[in-house]
Amino acid sequence: MTVTHSFYLAWKYLNFNRLKTATLIACITLVSSLPLALNLLLSASEEQLMSRAKVTPSLVGSKGSDLDLAINTLYFASEPPDPITMASVREIEESDLALPIPIATQFLARGFPIVGTTLDYFNFRELSLASGTRFGVIGDAVLGADVARSLGLTPGDSLVSSPETVFDLGGVYPLKMNVVGVLDRTYTADDRAVFVDIKTTWVIQGIGHGHQDLAQPDAEELVLEREGNEIVANAQLPQYTEITPENLASFHFHGSTDTFPITAIIAVPPDRKSAAILQGRYEVTDAPLQFVNSPQVIEELLIEIFKIRNLLNLVFFLVIAATLLAIALIFNLSLRLRQSEIQTSFKLGCSRGAIVQLIAAEIAVILVVSGGLSAIVTVGVSHLKQDITRTLIS
Amino acid sequence: MNVFNSRTTRMSGLFAAVLCCGVSFGCGTSTSDRDTAPQSEQIDAANSTQTETRLQVFASNYPLQFMTEFIGGESVSVSLPVPADIDPAFWTPEPDAIAQMQTADLIVLNGATYEKWLSAVSLPSSIQVFTSGGFRDRFITIEDLVTHSHGAEGEHSHAGTAFTTWIDFQLAVEQARAIRNALAERLPEQQEQLDANFAELERELLALDEQLEEAIAASDRQNQPLLASHPVYEYLAQRYDLNLQSVLWEPDVVPDESEWQDLQAKLSDRPAQWMLWEGTPNPESTARLEDLGVSSVVFSPAGNVSDGGDFLAVMQTNVNALIAIF
Repeated sequence: MTVTHSFYLAWKYLNFNRLKTATLIACITLVSSLPLALNLLLSASEEQLMSRAKVTPSLVGSKGSDLDLAINTLYFASEPPDPITMASVREIEESDLALPIPIATQFLARGFPIVGTTLDYFNFRELSLASGTRFGVIGDAVLGADVARSLGLTPGDSLVSSPETVFDLGGVYPLKMNVVGVLDRTYTADDRAVFVDIKTTWVIQGIGHGHQDLAQPDAEELVLEREGNEIVANAQLPQYTEITPENLASFHFHGSTDTFPITAIIAVPPDRKSAAILQGRYEVTDAPLQFVNSPQVIEELLIEIFKIRNLLNLVFFLVIAATLLAIALIFNLSLRLRQSEIQTSFKLGCSRGAIVQLIAAEIAVILVVSGGLSAIVTVGVSHLKQDITRTLIS
Repeated sequence: MNVFNSRTTRMSGLFAAVLCCGVSFGCGTSTSDRDTAPQSEQIDAANSTQTETRLQVFASNYPLQFMTEFIGGESVSVSLPVPADIDPAFWTPEPDAIAQMQTADLIVLNGATYEKWLSAVSLPSSIQVFTSGGFRDRFITIEDLVTHSHGAEGEHSHAGTAFTTWIDFQLAVEQARAIRNALAERLPEQQEQLDANFAELERELLALDEQLEEAIAASDRQNQPLLASHPVYEYLAQRYDLNLQSVLWEPDVVPDESEWQDLQAKLSDRPAQWMLWEGTPNPESTARLEDLGVSSVVFSPAGNVSDGGDFLAVMQTNVNALIAIF
């Protein structure tokens, strides 16, 4: 019996016992691909976490969990930290120790984070536009590549911010934002964010708003009380929920900009010395804010992940060993069940070697198919690892 | 300790998510006439004459444009995106102007709430320099909330912070210094020339300051009551201790009867003999003022480009005119 004949008979046998064959192939595929795929995903996660932290080493935010602050500011994930004020941005600016880039992440639009910032963020991250322009006025929004694809939005469309709470009638009103640009894909958290001017987040929050001019004679029915220079509006005064060229000039902010909220500051120092001096200012015990060295925080996170990874690798090793033993047992039991079939072949004149060759061919087919599937899975994971890990991190 | 617990929880979550995804994937379930030309054309025209090596600067009014050009010399190309017939204090940029400012190397701003349009416009912070940032503690607050309208820019209010800072020449020096510093940061190789140009501008501005201060101090009429046609002279009044009260008149608009009556009421309390105008007043207004015993004198803040020469020339004319009434 030639090798070809052996493989032909093996194929026929495996095809006849499809369920058993499929189960064996699935087991071997899983056992071989799972550790590889997991290691690929972990490596990609580590790479993504670390690379973004490395280019964004200096963060300033409210005191509390440094990890929460880093994860929220770098990846726009997790609950936003307690707010800080724009006064902190001004202080850093006036110190000349760093360029402060404010970040506000407390709002969502159709499930995606709205990131309020300044245009310095685009320059800092070297974000380029796939279409449209950068935001020019309040109410403009620039979408990350994944947001635009998921929501099917292009420049000229609009996107409404999500209300903070459905039943809070006195709370934050949704703002209809004008999509003016879509970013090129970056394979980072920026792909899944809606970028607006920091002032737009204050409009969403109700700190800034636009309405009819109450000083005008035709607004008399909207006035509750006039006392000297103060005009109090009644509840009928409608506030604009969309910023248009016509009503843009009516938008205004109440109070000092110094008191307006943000969630964190990305500090971009010109050199290490400035970074060290800036860090020192926040390390005094009574400092109201904390300085976060994000590579250090992420590295600590990765060290913990390494420990869990080692544990899992051990578990995988044991699972693989148990699975291989189980497969060997299955083959052994299968051979016993096939004793009568093997005896018949022997009586028909088939040599012992030919029978061994036949069984070896069956095992080879299963291993080759499993190996092929495992390779496909691994290549697939390798190809999609950036997307998968970014989704998981976000 | 709590931080550590928080981290462990988060790490476990992240790791579990990675693991779950890995398992599910393994199971195969994956998936040049500035009056009439639009702003953009004016900016394009300005840019077309610039070479790439020059620092591209936008200024929010003429005094800042002048100071930047004076200090930067040939190293800078300074554009004023505001049409000549509009007061830059009440200008609103169009989208094209915003887009071009976003790509500038530097945007020189007055601050002190001068650029009202900034609250609605997105510009990179890294290229903005607020020239009045160094004397924020000396800003003057205006209490009245009266709005009025005139010219192409429409209705506006002078409530809030007074912003015509540069007509106090000492503050103008501080603004020039901020511009010098911002330019030096971007053109370190030009530091010496920038310093020399700044020193010359400082000398000119302080000379104007000295002339005015000495003339007013030497006058026996230094406490005479004065009227201002518009509330733009707060810093001038503060610097030289002028006894100044403002109305809300425009040089090219003849006030209505109620405004004349208001003025007469003011004059009965404060018998002023001079009114300061931002520009040449309407002859009908000056004639009627003369009938009330009030003469007119022009002190132009020069917020936008004028026909009266460059910024220093306009300010010298202002100083001469003011000295003449003391």
